[in-house]
Amino acid sequence: MKKVIALLLASAMAFSLTACAGVAPATVAPAEETAASADEAAAPAEETAAPAASGDEITLDVIICQYGPNTNDWFLRGSTGMDGTNFTEKFEQENPGIKLNLEVVSWNDVYTVVDTRIANGNAPDILNIDVFANYANEGLLLPVSDYCPEDLYKDFFPSFIEQSVIDDTVWAVPDLASARALFYNVDMLEEVGVEVPTTWAELEDVSQAILDYYDGEVYPWGIDMTTDEGQAAFAYYTWGNGGGFVDADGNWAVNTPENVEAIEYAIGLVDKGFTNPNPATQTRYDLQDMFAAGKLAMIIAPNQLPTYVADKGGSINMATASLPANEGKKSSSVGVMDRVMAFKDDSAPDQAARNEAIGKFLSFFYDPENYVGWVSMEGFLPAVNSAVEALVASDESFAAWLSVLDSCQFYPAAKAEWDQVKQGVIAAEQNALAGADVKAELDALQEQLP
Amino acid sequence: MPYLWLLPSIVLIAVFVVYPIIIVFRMSFSEITKSGIVGDFIGFRNYTDAVALPAFGVVMKNTFWWVISVVGLSTLLGIIIALVLNEEFRGRKLVRAVLIFPWATSLVIQASVWNYIIKYEYGNLNNVLLNLGIIRQAINFRSSYQIEFIWECAVGIFVTIPFVTFCVLSGLQSIDDSLYEAARVDGASFRYSLFHITLPLVKPSLTVSTVLNIIYVFNSFPIIYTMTKGAPANKTDTMITYLYMLSFYDRKKGPATALSVIGFVILCICAGIYMMTVMRKEETL
Repeated sequence: MKKVIALLLASAMAFSLTACAGVAPATVAPAEETAASADEAAAPAEETAAPAASGDEITLDVIICQYGPNTNDWFLRGSTGMDGTNFTEKFEQENPGIKLNLEVVSWNDVYTVVDTRIANGNAPDILNIDVFANYANEGLLLPVSDYCPEDLYKDFFPSFIEQSVIDDTVWAVPDLASARALFYNVDMLEEVGVEVPTTWAELEDVSQAILDYYDGEVYPWGIDMTTDEGQAAFAYYTWGNGGGFVDADGNWAVNTPENVEAIEYAIGLVDKGFTNPNPATQTRYDLQDMFAAGKLAMIIAPNQLPTYVADKGGSINMATASLPANEGKKSSSVGVMDRVMAFKDDSAPDQAARNEAIGKFLSFFYDPENYVGWVSMEGFLPAVNSAVEALVASDESFAAWLSVLDSCQFYPAAKAEWDQVKQGVIAAEQNALAGADVKAELDALQEQLP
Repeated sequence: MPYLWLLPSIVLIAVFVVYPIIIVFRMSFSEITKSGIVGDFIGFRNYTDAVALPAFGVVMKNTFWWVISVVGLSTLLGIIIALVLNEEFRGRKLVRAVLIFPWATSLVIQASVWNYIIKYEYGNLNNVLLNLGIIRQAINFRSSYQIEFIWECAVGIFVTIPFVTFCVLSGLQSIDDSLYEAARVDGASFRYSLFHITLPLVKPSLTVSTVLNIIYVFNSFPIIYTMTKGAPANKTDTMITYLYMLSFYDRKKGPATALSVIGFVILCICAGIYMMTVMRKEETL
């Protein structure tokens, strides 16, 4: 009998453990998330109790991604970022009747958090994230025209707004951007006696020279083909060879001869020993650390690299250049943009008031008085015209970056299959690193696409 | 009356164990959108989709080797360490206390630390070996994904040993010394008493630790996610990390849910078979 009980107990335990772990991605993460937000939610709920009698009170659930160490302070807690106050406090003071239930979520968790909240019928009112196509295609988003004040809408860079259009409707607005360029260690290249490369052939020659000069102690070139950002590598090389994710008509075209040649070239750089040895697991941050430590001579990185290196205590004499392109092909810069979007909420009693509140949130956020501080704090590039003047005045290098931003290409994030393509090209690159045939990999991916 | 006393635990189990399991089972037979909205009933399509995924075979093979190597080797090493710790020696308490560290530290921290240790560029292991003059040039300890997977298994073994050790140790301490004395009087060798007294008597605690370990290790997420994220192209993923990547990176939530149910069934079968064989043997003894 004892044994039977023991067996029962053990299997009950097994059950409970599997239950926890088996559904971990679906339920444990949100449990933590709701536990964390429960405390935060408790406070506004009490506050709303009194004025709710007037019937005007609106609470907006806002999710903001964590861009850096200061994000949380600036939005929520701090008294340093914004003249002795923070975004939430200042907004609520200036907009009586609107409460913010704002959460700052790390980029690692934000997809899990948002997806689980949507699955549980608890989507945020306002979301700051990079992707939007799935949410728009599934009818979860409000069109921007429903809530965005017209003068603010006109303030956005038109080329940015275009990136968030599906079926002639704008579904999200850009919150900020960054542009990628080639950064190189000036002292190192001078010591070796080489010029910064502009073509792929030159890149190989320069890499060989650096490799020889430092006897393998320095990696000439950095490549990141990780699960986190391998799609950027795909963009760097295919765009530099006249290829890309889509053709001229905007249809998926991942297996063009240009793309195959480009990825084979990139893999070739790894095989020849010109790069960091493990591109499938060494993230851009690993590479940036190596660059800051003087172990890497050239790296493709966003405009915040100088700040990053300084924060790490590095003092690298660095300069920027255009990304090298294949002979006779145009060099193209890569822009990365994040977005702000608003979710539908059919349970809201007064839709017009809710839309107006969302509009007020956006107007407040993009008000140069607040927005300039936000963008420059994390070293990003702005998405609205009204911020340009102040930013250029505060930092001269902004002007150069803004012109780079003008010529940037962006990921085709408005297409419904973008997730699949993004993961697909990363898998193709990683398989190619492990020895697979690039063309076969890209052909297989293209076959799955419409 | 006894049911009244059991009620709190029954309620807890129902809410936090049974209900989520039911939800996941239901989800696995439903269409799920990329954003995670659960739609219509679609039968076994999520399951057929999951099995047809190109990485499915590799992932199952990895999961098998991951569980076998981590549970097997950590059990073997755990028994040996427990036997040593059961002897009287100076500083035994200290060693026991230190041994618990790998078990008590968060797995994400452990895995990150190991990432730094085996780093090629400025990893501690290379630095130590270089400074001791054992090697002349830094070694790339992660030169291929097969080797990376072996590292992940090694870290898994390292963090699992303490658990086995303490389970076995508790069993060892309950063995009456008079049994060994009697054996010694009868002229039994160390080997003989190990296989005929020690091991049979710690078997119950070993059974528990092994079954729990299979479940823990099968479901272990942090080591692999922190060290490789399954790269390159899911070749170092186990089932648990793969279904997470599938759900939140590839946004194939349907097949991911189906996979988690498959994992659950596999675990139930493993635990069931193990328990049954052990029980049958015990009864025939």
